[in-house]
Amino acid sequence: MNPPPLPSKQPSLFANNFVFEPMPDPANPIRALENLLKYPGRIVHELHQTRAAILATWLLIFGIAGVAIYGIVVGAQSGGAQMWIAPAKLVLGMLLSVLICLPSLYIFTCLGGIDAQLRSVCGALFAAVCLSSILLIGFAPVAWIFSQSTDSIVFMGTLHLLFWVIGIRFGLRLISAMGRFLGATSRGHLRIWSVIFILVCFQMTTTLRPIIAPSKTFLPTEKKFFLANWFETINRSDTARKK
Amino acid sequence: MIKHLKTLLRGEVDARCLEKPNLRWFIGYCIAIVLGSSVYGATIGLWRAPLQSVFTAIKFPLLIFLTCIGNGAVNGMLAQVLGSGLSFRQTAFAILMSFAVASLILGGFSPITLFILYNAPPLASEHAILGHSVMLLAHVCVIAFAGVMANRRLFGLLRKMNGRDATARAVLFSWLAGNLFLGAQLAWNLRPFIGSPQLAVQFLRDDPLRGNFYEAVWRALRHLFL
Repeated sequence: MNPPPLPSKQPSLFANNFVFEPMPDPANPIRALENLLKYPGRIVHELHQTRAAILATWLLIFGIAGVAIYGIVVGAQSGGAQMWIAPAKLVLGMLLSVLICLPSLYIFTCLGGIDAQLRSVCGALFAAVCLSSILLIGFAPVAWIFSQSTDSIVFMGTLHLLFWVIGIRFGLRLISAMGRFLGATSRGHLRIWSVIFILVCFQMTTTLRPIIAPSKTFLPTEKKFFLANWFETINRSDTARKK
Repeated sequence: MIKHLKTLLRGEVDARCLEKPNLRWFIGYCIAIVLGSSVYGATIGLWRAPLQSVFTAIKFPLLIFLTCIGNGAVNGMLAQVLGSGLSFRQTAFAILMSFAVASLILGGFSPITLFILYNAPPLASEHAILGHSVMLLAHVCVIAFAGVMANRRLFGLLRKMNGRDATARAVLFSWLAGNLFLGAQLAWNLRPFIGSPQLAVQFLRDDPLRGNFYEAVWRALRHLFL
């Protein structure tokens, strides 16, 4: 006689761990972090419940802490005051980017056919940023080793941006998962928003420059766009090397 | 009302809402247009001067309402002649709904355009041209996106009302053509929206009804090619 079939959970929508099910012990912040990495589907499920605000707050706090810790590694290349300026700027930049892009995320979720409350959308964005900052902490030892091996701001800037892009890619996947969980009819809108968010964050690194190198003022006195600043920095570095 | 506006953005508005248009939704759409387009308009004008941002914040929703009112009769007639079955009231309602969608999208983008403005080199700097170009491009892309999404939603609604793709498409394109035609001219009459550094900040240029958008384009093309 054949054994009875195993009770099936909600079918997973992605290959790895995006199963939308209740999270055990949702009030425990450490459990929340663990689930964010291992079972992100549970985070998406919890963010849609009435107690989502507490979870969202913890995710934001962990996101701020993670970015601040990575900021110390970024500032370690120059040392001195940069050890607190770099984390402060990275945290400020992260919060400003979230604030700037949140209204458009809410609009884009509606355009994508998703019926979500504002608190769920906020929570998903905080979760995305938190996940990317946790991954940045994972990259921190690698970044520190490279920062001690070179004086090149261009090289280290590229490396930090690359690590951040890898981290935020996983974070944005979580937002996409929220869309699927809530019955999105179109994925294109959230993809467009993801590009906008990445562009805003890139520009924010220029708005709050310098982050790696020291400076006489906390904020820059001249306004520049991201690419213009990047190319100028590369040219300056090439000229300095030729001398 | 917010729930209804979200339904509008999702494109899930029932055709029944057009069968019996109600005053509460009408007021809601007007509020959405005023809030969304004013806030966005302010970010357009801020590049020139704070006073210009106030002027543009007033003129942007005014442009939308004047276009709706100016084309109200012809849009209603076109809807009937093309066999959509919509009355004048339903036509006005549908067009107001699409402008409400566009205004909500524009409002959502306003923190981003404000951020771009913050990072743009100021008027007096040597890179002012770059800043102006980036801002212009950003506004064109945002307004185009809002327009495309609003028209997609309007097309979906027309299809639900009528049941025929061809009729819905014909009605949509005829409304679009009319609104673009009148809207461009009204935008010309209500200029400036961005403002020119060489000219004073004004609510309207001197003698605003004189001149014509299409004649200006024609003159520019002639200068370019002849």
